[in-house]
Amino acid sequence: MAPLRSLEQEYPILDPLFQTFCALHGIFSVEDFLLHDLYVLAAFAEQEPDSERLKQGITQVLSIIDGQHQPWLNGMELLADALHNKHVLSTGCDGIDLLLGGGLSAGQLTELVGPSSSGKTQVCLQAVSSVAKKHIGNVVYLDTSNSFSPQRVAHFVGLVSNISFDQARHHFLQNVMNNIVCHSVFDIFTMFAVLHQLEISLRMQLQSGDHRVRLLIIDSISSLITPILGGKGSQGHALMVSAGSLLKKLAHDHNLAVLVTNHTVGGEGGVPKPALGETWKSIPHVRLLLSRDRGNKKCTVSIIKHSSMDSGKAASFDL
Amino acid sequence: MEVGRLPISASQRGKLISAGYTTLSSLSSISASDLARDLKILDSEALEILKVASLNNRLDRPNGGHGIVNGAQTAWEMLHEEQFFPRITTSCADLDEILGGGINCKEVTEIGGVPGIGKTQLGIQLAVNVQIPVEFGGLGGKAVYIDTEGSFMVERAMQIAEACVLDMSHYNDLLRKEDRACQVKLQPSDILENIFYFRICNYTEQMALMNYLDKFISEHKDVKIVIVDSVTFHFRQDFEDLGLRTRLLGGMALKLMNLAKAHSLAVVIFNQVTTKYTEGSYQLALALGDSWSHSCTNRVILYWNGDERFAYIDKSPSLRSASAPFAVTSKGIRNSPSNYKRTKMM
Repeated sequence: MAPLRSLEQEYPILDPLFQTFCALHGIFSVEDFLLHDLYVLAAFAEQEPDSERLKQGITQVLSIIDGQHQPWLNGMELLADALHNKHVLSTGCDGIDLLLGGGLSAGQLTELVGPSSSGKTQVCLQAVSSVAKKHIGNVVYLDTSNSFSPQRVAHFVGLVSNISFDQARHHFLQNVMNNIVCHSVFDIFTMFAVLHQLEISLRMQLQSGDHRVRLLIIDSISSLITPILGGKGSQGHALMVSAGSLLKKLAHDHNLAVLVTNHTVGGEGGVPKPALGETWKSIPHVRLLLSRDRGNKKCTVSIIKHSSMDSGKAASFDL
Repeated sequence: MEVGRLPISASQRGKLISAGYTTLSSLSSISASDLARDLKILDSEALEILKVASLNNRLDRPNGGHGIVNGAQTAWEMLHEEQFFPRITTSCADLDEILGGGINCKEVTEIGGVPGIGKTQLGIQLAVNVQIPVEFGGLGGKAVYIDTEGSFMVERAMQIAEACVLDMSHYNDLLRKEDRACQVKLQPSDILENIFYFRICNYTEQMALMNYLDKFISEHKDVKIVIVDSVTFHFRQDFEDLGLRTRLLGGMALKLMNLAKAHSLAVVIFNQVTTKYTEGSYQLALALGDSWSHSCTNRVILYWNGDERFAYIDKSPSLRSASAPFAVTSKGIRNSPSNYKRTKMM
């Protein structure tokens, strides 16, 4: 939190007199305030000539601190929230939907891991078309490798539409495609800036209540994080964890489903394992492993980690 | 937004946090000299930090683009934009067919194969074909050729350019007089003039060139293709720190993607092969590892099948997996002259 000086504009009670008083006790920022013994501070304030104002200043800072954390929720409120707000979004692939018990859950961060050319982008594109069409929600797609293919999405949307007239189909396609927003990001700082903007516009949208964003896809988050991970400093590691917590916060606060893709690297014995390391393992709520058999084009998806299901369950489907 | 998410150096971030500035809002109402005094840094450094912070703050009001995010596009707009970006032909009809018309702009295509299969030939052919004028169905653009192996031969490029001009005038003659486009004004020497050639001798030069390319292409706006032949050469031998290699390659891939998207050009990178032990046997796979294989948009593998050269689409978001034969002739890349030409759908 900020030094006390910068709070002066918003809270005029924290005037220079209060700041000098705090400075006498070695308190320059709100963090120092928290570390200090407040009873002792109040006792010192008593002895000052302007004790009332100083005590009001102390209570003001305490109330600012209180406003920073999320409100406490009890179990019943959480259950009500889960039942009413956290819907399940179908991914458009029957195999995955069956495995996940309906599809992607809003409020959860789902990760799709797979070796190259295993169908991760295709699953993402199918999820995009399914959510835009069936759930009438907006989709935000952050693309790092220019692989967002509008023709493929149009193909998926057109696949299960039963409108026969060309004009109506054109209009329907246009409406659905207008709900899908795609942005190219090529480094992690741009991604943070975009997510920050998204957060602000979501907060504004909460009041207006029109087409809400339902699904956020980042394809792929590993190509954003790999260039900064490792090396001498730990900034890359910190940014990765920060990204994960920001995505989970967005998912929970605004009832989005967040889907990210990751790639695999060679592990021991030649068995491929997911990239991004041990810390990233605990960040997503659900992790799915995708693999494709070159011979018969069947995709297999298995659960590596899930918050409420056994890991190891698998299903196969055609793409 | 946290200060930790700003693109500033780690030491500056450490100083900001220890002085108590952990959010953007705390930086919004302070002057550069106060900040410099607090953090014990130079005024100019403080000014830089405040500039970066205010840039991020200004994005607070999403306007323009689409209501949700600045600079984003809807899928509908992107669908219609695709028509305005013609593809670059490879002069081989079968190859063009499996590529959906040719090499796509705004995408990074990785082409890999064993030595001697024709990668450099394909690269030179593409550098020539991008200059085909718009009246003949091409892009009329220039090419940047980045040579890391020293395999670019000017005489061969001249040969291919002459063959291209000859083909264009033959095509012109075949049309009726009314349909004839204006006479072929392009000369082989003009074609060579429009290929910007860079020779790279180590990986440092390669990284430096990637950083410089953005500025170069902003100055030469009609560059429509960037060919890197090959991207592997300087990263394969004598690289002790594999972690560093992965990071450098990842960063380079993102820069190339950015280049392709920002300037609407095609990026073609050539890769070499290595053996990989998968599923109980040793197989040929593209070099540079697993992380690199995720960094391109499309991947094409060139291989020998008996006496014929084949190209196979290994990875693409919108093209089907298929393979097609092609041949390398004195005129460049052309259709394979085999008796039964087939495009195998896999």
